[in-house]
Amino acid sequence: MNTMTIVGKTFSKRLMLPVITSIVCVLTTGLMSFAHARDLPPDPYESVMWENMAERFFPGDKVIFDERVKVIAPQSAEDQFHVPLTIDASEISDVVEVVAVADLNPIPHILTFRPKKAHAFLGFRLKLQQATAIHVGVRTKDDVWHIGAAYIDAAGGGCTAPAAVHGTVNWMSTLGQTRALARRDANGDARMTLRMRHPMDTGLASGIPAFFMNTITVRDQNQEVLAELELFEPVSENPTLTIKPFVSKNGGLLEVAARDNEGHEFGFGLSVPAGIDP
Amino acid sequence: MLKKSFLLTAGSIALSAGLFSISVSADVGIDDIVADQASSDDIVSYGLGPRGQRFSPLSTINKSNVKNLFPVWSFSFGGEKQRGQESQPLIKDGVMYVTGSYSRMWAIDIATGEELWQYDARLPEGILPCCDVVNRGAAILGDKVFFGTLDAKIVALDAKTGNVVWRKTIGDFEAGYSYTAAPLIVPTEAHGPLILTGNSGGEFGIVGEVQARSPETGDIVWTRPVIEGHMGTLNGEESTMTGAKNESWPGDMWQNGGGAPWLGGTYDPDTKLAFFGTGNPAPWNSYLRPGDNKWTSARVAIDPENGEIVWGFQTTPHDGWDYDGVNEFVSFDMEKDGETIKAGATADRNGFFYVLDRTNGEFVSAAPFVQNISWAKGIDETGRPIFDDANRPGDPVESADGKKGKSIFAVPSFLGGKNWMPMAYSQQTEMFYIPSNEWGMDLWNEPVTYKKGAAYLGAGFTIKPIFDDYIGSLKAMDPATGEIRWEYKNKAPLWGGVLTTGGGLVFTGTPEGFLKAFDAETGEELWKFQTGTGIVSSPITWEQDGEQWVAIVTGWGGAVPLWGGEVAKVVSYLNQGGSVWAFKVPEQLANR
Repeated sequence: MNTMTIVGKTFSKRLMLPVITSIVCVLTTGLMSFAHARDLPPDPYESVMWENMAERFFPGDKVIFDERVKVIAPQSAEDQFHVPLTIDASEISDVVEVVAVADLNPIPHILTFRPKKAHAFLGFRLKLQQATAIHVGVRTKDDVWHIGAAYIDAAGGGCTAPAAVHGTVNWMSTLGQTRALARRDANGDARMTLRMRHPMDTGLASGIPAFFMNTITVRDQNQEVLAELELFEPVSENPTLTIKPFVSKNGGLLEVAARDNEGHEFGFGLSVPAGIDP
Repeated sequence: MLKKSFLLTAGSIALSAGLFSISVSADVGIDDIVADQASSDDIVSYGLGPRGQRFSPLSTINKSNVKNLFPVWSFSFGGEKQRGQESQPLIKDGVMYVTGSYSRMWAIDIATGEELWQYDARLPEGILPCCDVVNRGAAILGDKVFFGTLDAKIVALDAKTGNVVWRKTIGDFEAGYSYTAAPLIVPTEAHGPLILTGNSGGEFGIVGEVQARSPETGDIVWTRPVIEGHMGTLNGEESTMTGAKNESWPGDMWQNGGGAPWLGGTYDPDTKLAFFGTGNPAPWNSYLRPGDNKWTSARVAIDPENGEIVWGFQTTPHDGWDYDGVNEFVSFDMEKDGETIKAGATADRNGFFYVLDRTNGEFVSAAPFVQNISWAKGIDETGRPIFDDANRPGDPVESADGKKGKSIFAVPSFLGGKNWMPMAYSQQTEMFYIPSNEWGMDLWNEPVTYKKGAAYLGAGFTIKPIFDDYIGSLKAMDPATGEIRWEYKNKAPLWGGVLTTGGGLVFTGTPEGFLKAFDAETGEELWKFQTGTGIVSSPITWEQDGEQWVAIVTGWGGAVPLWGGEVAKVVSYLNQGGSVWAFKVPEQLANR
């Protein structure tokens, strides 16, 4: 109920509709949930959806909150269509996958990130339907889920509005157009940021089917996979992502392949400059 | 390099999924498709068998118990996209795969009528379908289902999940290409099974083409433009030119010659030929393109091994009435004068029912299946129409201002004696059941020049009924004699396909919303059911758990309400919808 109180205090009247929608969502999902056999650590944000999220996305019996999973988010979303989020779990070794969920989004699963040869670090932007807790599960090789969380206050409706690009007639002709940048951090780490044009339709806006980029794979010049991403509907329009792949100090080439849920395929190459010893 | 590595990944995923499903359930094999007509527990091809006969040997539902046919469930396509529904569902292992308007597809659990998955194509703005946003059905092979979308793409979906496996481009939708037909899957020795598609867009000056792809990857194996002068391809290289440049086309008119094979094709396992019908030549104004304009308004037999045209037969050479020759070519064996002819039959837009020798395309016979045909005086012994020059619209150049030629009244109308809706052939009665319409048109020609993505007609028109009390006419045609054995008259134009069964029945739907069953011998109406919206699709029947089922997709639309004319009077009140109805005879009534 804590969540609802915050919603009531913060939100103006015109946001009632999305709030009502989300209540329906909560009830529906609530009906599907069942008694949990396992003991879950309590959620620091007391999210009403925590147990359900853990059941669906962090299965198994080893779930711990771990402050090494840093979930860096604004306290309040200025723009519910583009809420910046940075996940940094690079202090944890043997990371297999990183799963991010927005508890109160109509579609909670934001993305899954598998840093094969990359830091467990990811920056991106997401859509929020209402104020919600964000839970990020980092699964290590020993099948322990290390959880980090954040709470973002937000105006509503980020998931049920048409993409901004749909105001233009020929938006599809620029589908997959990409801007990308690779550089070195001060400590010599390689860092790649890319932004790909895609509406990332959630399927929840009237008359517009779900249409979103759903896999991105980053390889090195030897075709070795450095990082895999599965994106879902809540990732913002024109997905913008930052990862930190392991690249030789001498520099190298990154090859990025992406595919959306309609089978469109996109790809490009990007060279990473040589590193300088910090 | 990058693309290649990605495809490898995708390929290996598909392969492992295939291996997995082989061990748990029987995927659709190419032999199942070729022999689809004989197996009544599934429907894995458009037309209930690749020959397109739409004949099911099932006889559990018969003339005496059809009155007890009751609906089991109705499934709504939902949304606000209730436009014309022309789809024929496929059936496999208790699952129905059905497509709908705006390039959507559903998998339905037949036992319960519940949805298993839904796929909605994300269509771009500015698609150019000429005649409603319909889809006519899917194809199935292995663990995938395939269908074409309005933006001229073909999509392969995982049959279990509805997820996109691959998506390929048939044509440029911005130039007017579109796709609505059910794809055709055929066997070949050289390439394994291939998936064949035509294209749509004859009103936009596109070039009609048949493409063959690998069902596994979607990669093109061969292409065959149907307009003379264009080059085909095979294995990524130019193969042969279709016909000879300028043999039947003047100047550069062949470059935007139309001939869209928009209704797809049929396949005959005996002759190993794929038969595609080709659309009208572009533009409609025939004075701009003197000559026969091959292969528009024709049937072409294509060798699936290499994409070569084995034979062609033009039903309306130098068409000036929009008499597309796309209508399905149905293979059947005909007894005539003590001989068995490997025949094929087609009921053309131009109002004549043709029987050809399907091995070589030679003309056997033609007979009118609608009344008062006026554009031709008849068909000569070679199969060529005897044109009535008085009923070809006048050349606009000869008019006072050069803007509008003399208007004429021609029968049938440009929507045809029969349009897309497929007929059925009963192996039991040896008759064809043709859904036809009795109407004509005022038609005149205008000057026109080609512009990408713009309508390329050079004609104006309006449709008029011929009789006061009916337009639609379901006819039983004896292919050996050309006689009409019986006729069912319907007030509104018929726009749905026909099914005939071993139970001696003929099924079809009406725009007024009824699914009806007739006695195949006499035409007597034995049963009807009101589905709540117009029917413009093709019924199916199959056997599941020992019971015979019948299903029909409903939802008024298609080309009739778009073009209307005076016909609008009998159809303007009809309401749209979008659903599938499934029927069977309840067990306790089966023997009554």
